Amino acid sequence: MSLLVDMMTNTLDPGYAEAAASRARTGAPDAPRRAIQRAGAVAAAALAGLILVTASSEARRSAPELAKARADLVGQVRQRTSQVTGLQRQVLALSAKVARLRQAGLGGTSSGRRLAAQLAALQLAAGAVPVTGPAVRVTLTDARLPAGATDSTRQDEGGQVLDTDLQHVVNALWASGAEAIAVNDQRVTALTSIRAAGNAIVVDFRPVDPPYVVTALGDPDTLEQSFVSSSAAAALRTYSQAYGLGFAVKGLSDATLPAAAAPALYAARPGAVPTPSTGGSS
Amino acid sequence: MIAAVALVIGVVVGLFVQPTAPTWLQPYLPIAVVAALDAVFGALRAHFDGIFDDKVFVVSFVSNVLVAALIVFLGDQLGVGAALSTAVTVVLGIRIFGNVAAIRRHLFRA
Repeated sequence: MSLLVDMMTNTLDPGYAEAAASRARTGAPDAPRRAIQRAGAVAAAALAGLILVTASSEARRSAPELAKARADLVGQVRQRTSQVTGLQRQVLALSAKVARLRQAGLGGTSSGRRLAAQLAALQLAAGAVPVTGPAVRVTLTDARLPAGATDSTRQDEGGQVLDTDLQHVVNALWASGAEAIAVNDQRVTALTSIRAAGNAIVVDFRPVDPPYVVTALGDPDTLEQSFVSSSAAAALRTYSQAYGLGFAVKGLSDATLPAAAAPALYAARPGAVPTPSTGGSS
Repeated sequence: MIAAVALVIGVVVGLFVQPTAPTWLQPYLPIAVVAALDAVFGALRAHFDGIFDDKVFVVSFVSNVLVAALIVFLGDQLGVGAALSTAVTVVLGIRIFGNVAAIRRHLFRA
């Protein structure tokens, strides 16, 4: 404690007082020595000024460099994202071509047509093809921020849509009989994750921005009714009243959902192509 | 008085020459600045107290800057560089504050 008090009260270097006392005792030093000391003080003062300016110009110089590095990173992220989007478009075009070729190849025989029908049903269930039909649209928005509030206060007060809210909505839609679901035009399949990464929500590892629009295709007579009476919808209605979180359900006569991104294979590799057997079992 | 003029000259020279600190010196520069400011304000206060001494100013300036740099260096070696830099800044900042308050009392009698 005494150290702190000492620090607060004795702000002046005690050397000054000692020097003054010794000067009073023995008189001022002789002229040449005084001149040397004066020169030293002048040099030190000049050096202090130099250090001040150097530091300030150093700080000013490094600030734009930091901003530049950040801008570079942002540009890289944008570039890679657009690259990914382009590649995904290419994947979609190529898989459409594959589908056409497959159709042409399988259309010839009756067993081929059966296989094609089976494949189409499986693709529909797996979200590999775009689908269209009557739908229910659930829109979730963050509560409007009161003036002067920050993102974290909204999170603390419960007015922010969380990844779990989105998960509950999607699960309730599946349970209500939805046949295909998309979140912000991103198709949700059995393999899609909905998670939080920091403050953002990522669907299938791609960030989605509010408002979160969940579109579900299904039987128009039962889907909306069943969802509205689900416990997830009841919870969201409560949040909406208590925290001002936006929650709206709307029926659509016709909606189109995109195909899901092709699932990535990590361990599986293409096997040997089986040689077509002439005898064949059916 | 001459020291004050020298300080201004140092600033002006720095503005014109735009010196670049070598890379090895850059971590010590911010702390050295605070140490130099402390020495300068201490000298100014001593001047108003009527006990300014050239030799004490030179010694306090040089030792302030060196000790500050040494503390940063030691902290970097021991992995507590940021904490020690903060400690130095706080201590010197309090001293600067106290000295400026004393100067203010001299200047405005309040």
